[in-house]
Amino acid sequence: MSPVKHAVIAAAGLGSRLGHGKPKCLVEIEGVKILRHLLSLLSDVEDVRVVVGFEEKEVINEIRKIRSDVMVVRNPGFRATTTLHSYELGARHIKGDCLFMDGDMLIEEASFKAFLASCKPNTPRLAITKTKTRDAVFTTIENGIATSFRRDDPTEYEWANISWLPNAFFSDIGNTAVYEQLRQFLPMETQELIAYEIDSEQDLSLAKENLHLFSLSALAS
Amino acid sequence: MYRQATHAQTLTFQRSPALLKGEEIQTAFAFDLDGTITRAELLPMIASELGLEAEMRLLTELTMAGVIPFEDSFRLRFAILRSAGIDRIRSIVSQVEFDPDIEAFIRENVERCFVVTGNLDLWVQPLMERLKCQFYTSTAITDAEGRITGLDTVMRKNVAGLELKERFDRLVSIGDGFNDIPIFDVADIGIAFAGLHSAPDALISVSNYVALDGKSLCRLLNTL
Repeated sequence: MSPVKHAVIAAAGLGSRLGHGKPKCLVEIEGVKILRHLLSLLSDVEDVRVVVGFEEKEVINEIRKIRSDVMVVRNPGFRATTTLHSYELGARHIKGDCLFMDGDMLIEEASFKAFLASCKPNTPRLAITKTKTRDAVFTTIENGIATSFRRDDPTEYEWANISWLPNAFFSDIGNTAVYEQLRQFLPMETQELIAYEIDSEQDLSLAKENLHLFSLSALAS
Repeated sequence: MYRQATHAQTLTFQRSPALLKGEEIQTAFAFDLDGTITRAELLPMIASELGLEAEMRLLTELTMAGVIPFEDSFRLRFAILRSAGIDRIRSIVSQVEFDPDIEAFIRENVERCFVVTGNLDLWVQPLMERLKCQFYTSTAITDAEGRITGLDTVMRKNVAGLELKERFDRLVSIGDGFNDIPIFDVADIGIAFAGLHSAPDALISVSNYVALDGKSLCRLLNTL
């Protein structure tokens, strides 16, 4: 049994780099919205919270169609704040550890399930993935431990924007990027998974070239 | 039973003057009744039994669209339904189904759960007996024989909310309609409940959370 009882998906942002005019979690790939894909991966997690902001009504309607026991957390300040703020809102009042992830990626199921299974109480853990673009949080790994983050000079791995963290990591936050907040808690254990974040058209094309990894057809209606 | 209640004296809880660090925060949970705790809206249900469905539906639509303020709407609904005997109304009301998760949560936390409803005290009496927690309601005037002759007070939920805030450190409010906006305004945490139908955008815009069913709602409440 995985110890992961709580998960927060940050899905409040504008997705302006992709520029589809809708929240990225509602972007459809092979007839499946990213949100449906992510919620299917979290089907064994009891308490799933989705943080909404931009076009919240559309996202709420979609959640209702997929899984009605998902809690919707509102981030009305989504335009002026970062994902870090959404994480804090999403995990507020949760005691203990929580899985945090962004709502704009495709993830290979077996590696994700392995990540969930590897999480341990009170032991922060970062999911890393093979570096795919120049616009990522590059992670220096030593013997499986993440020791530093940087935005330039790519390394072999990037942080996958998926983490298993104690809620207390977000008790005191500024208006910074999530990795800047997490930097103070390094070093942290890591585990590799296969994930394709979708920030831009280029990312979307890359994910589409690797569709065989994501078993989307089972979810297409 | 908003006017006559002596509930402020009946609870043993005393608000701590200064909340010390590490001391447990005393939280009150204020639930709307119709469409939140109950799985059907009571007034349309009564109207349907009385053959006044169309009139009530029109009024509900106009109220939901914000054309008629809640207080006026409630007076009109009352005027439509007052012709029915109170026993008839209570017998209809007593059949309503509760959301099982919310009902269980209230039973387990009866001392800090409150129902804040625009509905009339005398009409929802059977539900007070079933839930056993305190109710804040609109109130009726009755004659010597106990027949309803008019409305005394129409619930303004912010007033009930402020009273609860006097007694507790924190107020969590749960509701599904326009008339919950004033109590969300005074609550520390507002949870729009969109279990029966989608909640109005105006309510969502002042909420912290949107719960889509009773199960996830109570899971959240248990963490607060």
